[in-house]
Amino acid sequence: MSAPENTGKAGVLVAAEDAPITDKLAHATLDDVLYNIVHDILIKVHRDEKTARANTAAIKVEKLALNSIDSSSTDQRPDVEVETDSAIYKDGNVTLKGNPLKTTKEILCPKCHLPRLLHPTDGKGGKKPDPSVIYCKKHPYIEKPGYDIYGQTWVAPGPGRGKKKKDMKDKLDPNDPSSPAAIMEGSAKDRPPNVLSFPSATCSKCKRCILVTRLNNHMGSCIGNSGRNASRAAAQKISNSNGGSQNNDNTPPGSQKGTPLPTSRAASPRKRDGDEFDEDAEESDPTNPKKKKLKPTALNKKVILKAKSPAATLKKEKIAKGSSMLNVEQKADDIDGNSTVQVAPKKSVPKGPSPTKKIKLNPSKPPVPSPGGKKGKRDRDMESESSGTLSSPPR
Amino acid sequence: MAARPATPASPKNHKVKDAQPGQPMYGCEHTQKLFNQDQNTTNTSIQHYKSILRSIFDTNPLISQTTKGSDGVIHTTLTPAWLCLQCPGTLTEEDLVRHGSKKQHRFYVDSRNAALYCQMCDDIVWDPTFEELRIQKQVTGTFSTSRKRKHEELPDPIKDNPTFISANTTIASCKANGLRGIYNAGATCYQNVVLQSFLHNPILRNFYLSDGHQCESPHCLSCAMDDMFQDFYASEVTNGYTAANILSGFWISEKKAFENLVTTKEQDAHEFFQFLAEELHERNGDGKKPEIGSEHSCTCIIHQTFYGKLQSTTTCQNCQGVTNQVQSFLDLSLPLENVTPASAKKKKAGGAKATVMTLQDCLDEEYIKSDKCEYRCHNCSSMQQARRQTSIKRLPNVLAIQFKRFEYKQGRHERAAKIDTPVQFPLSLNMLPYTSRARGGEGKENYELARSCTYDLLSVIVHVGEIDTGHYVSYCRVGDQWFAFNDHKVEVAQLSDVLNAKAYLLFYMVRSLS
Repeated sequence: MSAPENTGKAGVLVAAEDAPITDKLAHATLDDVLYNIVHDILIKVHRDEKTARANTAAIKVEKLALNSIDSSSTDQRPDVEVETDSAIYKDGNVTLKGNPLKTTKEILCPKCHLPRLLHPTDGKGGKKPDPSVIYCKKHPYIEKPGYDIYGQTWVAPGPGRGKKKKDMKDKLDPNDPSSPAAIMEGSAKDRPPNVLSFPSATCSKCKRCILVTRLNNHMGSCIGNSGRNASRAAAQKISNSNGGSQNNDNTPPGSQKGTPLPTSRAASPRKRDGDEFDEDAEESDPTNPKKKKLKPTALNKKVILKAKSPAATLKKEKIAKGSSMLNVEQKADDIDGNSTVQVAPKKSVPKGPSPTKKIKLNPSKPPVPSPGGKKGKRDRDMESESSGTLSSPPR
Repeated sequence: MAARPATPASPKNHKVKDAQPGQPMYGCEHTQKLFNQDQNTTNTSIQHYKSILRSIFDTNPLISQTTKGSDGVIHTTLTPAWLCLQCPGTLTEEDLVRHGSKKQHRFYVDSRNAALYCQMCDDIVWDPTFEELRIQKQVTGTFSTSRKRKHEELPDPIKDNPTFISANTTIASCKANGLRGIYNAGATCYQNVVLQSFLHNPILRNFYLSDGHQCESPHCLSCAMDDMFQDFYASEVTNGYTAANILSGFWISEKKAFENLVTTKEQDAHEFFQFLAEELHERNGDGKKPEIGSEHSCTCIIHQTFYGKLQSTTTCQNCQGVTNQVQSFLDLSLPLENVTPASAKKKKAGGAKATVMTLQDCLDEEYIKSDKCEYRCHNCSSMQQARRQTSIKRLPNVLAIQFKRFEYKQGRHERAAKIDTPVQFPLSLNMLPYTSRARGGEGKENYELARSCTYDLLSVIVHVGEIDTGHYVSYCRVGDQWFAFNDHKVEVAQLSDVLNAKAYLLFYMVRSLS
């Protein structure tokens, strides 16, 4: 065996001429390994690309063959002979002509037979696609910081409890006309289509529409026995001897399923309002946006409004009560109210929630404080919830 | 589609793979000529290709990479050599042209991947007939098509009526590819990561998409999974998914053992994985509760996918009596403490260099090394010192591995702590050394057995942050591309991101099924 050369097959790692033989051997081996890695990757990529091109050539010639015969014929393999630059169709079989890597330039989707878009539309390596071509819907994935593989991004999460500071920090100031938020403000119509908001889902038990980020909390109190209601139920059980209605641990007291009585609403709206706010501060159960928030981003509020129509109405009541600094808010609300109407059908909500949501949404669209049954229902709920623990509303 | 085997029942006459719509029949004009000469040439070509495949994949790679040069010198290279399809010669790249012009042999097979090179095209060609054989060999290790043949005996509605499939199915949009985020419904990222790894598990995907689960019971978690698979793989929506049904099924479920999971607080993804697996088993399986520690066999999809069997052998140090105990496992939990990296031992003399622990080190510790224990020997009928050794008796199709990153430290300051040690894990994992068969000395030179124990990384679940609060993200592989899932956000991930992650849960899938 002769002395090893000072490099391997790839010739990338070269040892010095006067290097010791072990050095040369190490360089040669490493270089060969590198060659193998590149070789394997190349084979893989070559296979994908050439197979795709060859199939494209076949699809094209098959299409031509089918078109060349009578369109009424249902024969899948017409007995015709068609030839293109890249393939021959004969006796129902396709054979290649030349190297498909050279003869075929585009790639057709084997499923829908539309051309594949070969570069992403945005981000790294992004190019605008040719508007005159209808491409297959499978696009290359987008690599762009802040966006997902489909070029989507999400509006900042709502002013959730506990995360207030963090969320507000990156939030775009809606009052600054130069910021993108100003453009997005209010109506989703003006919002770029790739900016998505968080959807809502229907709770399988109470059938209410809940913003997705609060779904777990909601289910915890609605289905499960955790959260505020659980401790309340427990407290009630201990303090109250008439545990008859509390037998079912899984159901929070004052089931939200209950049909509202028409009279219940009149009970004590004022007191209720006060209660509600306190409770909101306790739990992130989606209710009305707190009035303490001075600059709620319009977008977030919109989402909430969509999910919780009673919220808007409750708020209006508060406004009527004459709090300060509400002018801006009210305006925003109006815009939001409108935008909600426009957005709702357009938005793609996964499955279930949509029908219910629309139904719920419609009656409360005009932000007039007369939501009727809905509000009544809520009132009743809250009332019965707090009935057992009147002594200590959580602060 | 009617993917009929290229080898018919009679081994004498080999057939060219039937034409498929949207696919050329041959790799190039020259393979077309080769197959159209006469039956004899077709037979020898296919037979020869098969024997080349055998020598490449079933024997030591040295054999296929050893060439005899024109000067008669035997040469073994690390880089690929080329095996002539028309004669038994193996050639270096440099010798190809000379061999071609001398012998009129035009096709050569690459010794690393068994790709076919056509000298007249001066390119690699991908002939459907050869490709089918190559993939069969590379993946399953055999050419046997017994399962397919059985299938063909059944009356095939597709054959009678070519439009059968198109008339009875709706084709999912090209856009629907299963890549969607899942919204965080309030500290549910521990669920999202596990759901994503289920969604991108080919076995579970095929089960649910082929209508594998049918039931009528309300609030069925398996039905919710079914819905989720449909939404991921059949709709064009790219927005995040709202796992409301899963969540409610989860809340409604009455698993006492996992009751503490049902809260609105952050939870352990591994516990959720166990919960989901057991729940789905109960919905799909024999209804028996999987008892921990026992040998439980069930034909449900979850058992077929995740469950394997462990065998622990206890040898009494007094009478040398051996007791075997077999139990099934859903996942392998590997401790990270007290593991000595193999590289550290070697380097001991060389000085204290920072060494990184590998997954194999952890597996070595658990399934190769033996530990001492006390046990009551039946023969001696007294307490005796014994050596206990655990090995894997049956490997699962999808191997779930958990690193015990969350540990409860005992002592004066009793508290739970997170172990942040990075552990290297490979893209493809050979589980053969940890099996009972390898313990018995089998499989040293058995490439076919080794291949059946080779696993490819499927998904990685990572926990970021502290023990009591943090966030879960996951990486899943779709084909050869990796994606990072962070709740509703899906991004393209680089391989280096995946492999540098501080993994908490790993899912490996056996290669022969992929």
